[in-house]
Amino acid sequence: MNAVRDSLNRIGVVLLKETLDNLRDRRSIFSALASSLIGPVLLLVMIVIVGRTFFRDQIENKVQLAVQGAENAPTLLSYLRQRNIEIIPPPADPAEAVRNGDLNIVLVIPPTYGEDFSKGKPATLQLILDSSRQSAVADIQRVMDLLESYSDTMASLRLMARGISPEVITPLAMERLDVSTPQTQVLVFLNMLPYFVILVVFVGGMYVIIDTTAGERERGSLEPLLINPVHRWEFVLGKLGASLPFALLALVATLAAFAICFNVFPVEEYVGFQLSLDVKALVGIFFISLPMVLLASALQMIVTTFTRSFKEAQTYVGFLPLIPALPGIGLAFMPVKATLWMMLIPTFGQQLLINQMLRSEPISSLNVAVSTAITLAAAVILILIAIHLYQRERIIFGAR
Amino acid sequence: MIRVTNLHKSFNSIKALSGVSFEAPDGCITGLLGPNGAGKTTTLRILYALLHPDQGKAEVDGYDTQKQSIQVQQRIGALPDSIGLYPRLTARENIRYYGQLHGLRGSELEAQIDRLVQLLDMQDFENRRTEGFSSGQRVKVAIARALVHQPKNVLLDEPTNGLDVMSTRAMRSFIRQLRDEGKCVLLSSHIMQEIAALCDHIVILSRGVVVAQGAPEDLLNQTRQANLEDAFVAAIGSEEGLER
Repeated sequence: MNAVRDSLNRIGVVLLKETLDNLRDRRSIFSALASSLIGPVLLLVMIVIVGRTFFRDQIENKVQLAVQGAENAPTLLSYLRQRNIEIIPPPADPAEAVRNGDLNIVLVIPPTYGEDFSKGKPATLQLILDSSRQSAVADIQRVMDLLESYSDTMASLRLMARGISPEVITPLAMERLDVSTPQTQVLVFLNMLPYFVILVVFVGGMYVIIDTTAGERERGSLEPLLINPVHRWEFVLGKLGASLPFALLALVATLAAFAICFNVFPVEEYVGFQLSLDVKALVGIFFISLPMVLLASALQMIVTTFTRSFKEAQTYVGFLPLIPALPGIGLAFMPVKATLWMMLIPTFGQQLLINQMLRSEPISSLNVAVSTAITLAAAVILILIAIHLYQRERIIFGAR
Repeated sequence: MIRVTNLHKSFNSIKALSGVSFEAPDGCITGLLGPNGAGKTTTLRILYALLHPDQGKAEVDGYDTQKQSIQVQQRIGALPDSIGLYPRLTARENIRYYGQLHGLRGSELEAQIDRLVQLLDMQDFENRRTEGFSSGQRVKVAIARALVHQPKNVLLDEPTNGLDVMSTRAMRSFIRQLRDEGKCVLLSSHIMQEIAALCDHIVILSRGVVVAQGAPEDLLNQTRQANLEDAFVAAIGSEEGLER
């Protein structure tokens, strides 16, 4: 019993020292907090931008159309005016004005229009446009649709004048029912939330791990430290333990930031509806993520064992969050149904569970138990590997 | 009391030690003298229980460094090759950390730190963060943290490296003081004058073997030389490591 108490005491000494040391390090705190804010802010900005585009489209605003030769087709122009098109005088050089982006579209009505039209020949109209200009696409589409429907109306009138039903030339009657709403478009982005949670889990404690391992070696304080009568596994657990408060702080901060962004920030003004994140779901996400915090720290500990300097460690450890994040990004665009075997993959199972929580879907407690147990087991194995690496004598040289 | 018997150690294909044996008794300053790469640091690292010898054994107060590493580490205080401090901790916090790792707590620990601060004349900077300390100040902190648990055996790897003349003098008198307290002091140096100025017993290492050992006067007899410098050159067979 005494041996256990002594070990716990020594682990506690290492843990407290590393925590104090890193609390005095701006980099550690900054990396924990900055990483936790990136996700919510980025997500909010994306939702507002995308939401705005969709929201704007719903109200049809007036489209300006410059017309050259307006006097040639007064009926067509009044048809357009009735449908919320503002006719403006043409520029001196229409092609140049469109190319420069001064105008989105110019309609040229040749003098032959009236004659051709009355003879029943196809009357030529010319549209000058730049199809590569994204901002003009909506206006171009509006004008083309209107011209087409004018053409259809005229065709129908001509057929009727000849005693033929216009239905003859409409073999298909297309009806479109677009069920997408701004809400569903915007919610695609919420699928990225699990990815940001993973990112924070990996980055939150990262600086502490690097500082207490590669940093220790770089400062030349590792050799004297290891001469103290402390078992290597006690050092590993103490240092690992010191990273956990930082990672947990980052996780809590990021979830709180998500809650604030979506529950308090007036998203409605920008996207036309209010988003809401259930606080209970966020608490659930916190607990689901806990095993990943341990896994991330253990994995980083192993990687930093092979590095000689802070910079080198930072480079390698920086890549780690990408591994579990890749399936997460995939999930955002191609949601899959959570099944039991997926829970066997550490971090992937959690991402699926987090996604389910966000959508308030029913969550299988078996899935939670399996994913938690597997991730914890993986973390324990990684910790044992880290301890093994620390027991090698090469540790003092920083050998590969 | 330190005893090293027939130590062998290789790193990959490089043989660092090939049969090193010597004893360092209590109340005596024993010097490990040899040019760079002779195996001094490797020998000391085996004594710190950081490296395992391929053959032979090292004992501190009768405890085997391989089988009883914790007991060995409780009985030694070491100033190793690298003496990095924690720059965001104060000198006192650096020393306190090592004391706590040795299981010291509370007023007993603080009193011990006070004693070392006095002894090493660290009052001016004990509560300053160690970032930007001079090399003399750094060595003092490193010595204090190594001795905070009052070890019987003190191992110093090149203790005056990088120190100015005043700090070197202070360090030498401190080492003599440790000997007078009855401690077993083992120090390594590649500088003959340093060893000559301090040591009661000298072990000359070259290319991983002990080429000569004994009290300074014994070495003169063994090598049939008139002064230590010539004795050193004769023992290692070259003039490597002499200070010019």
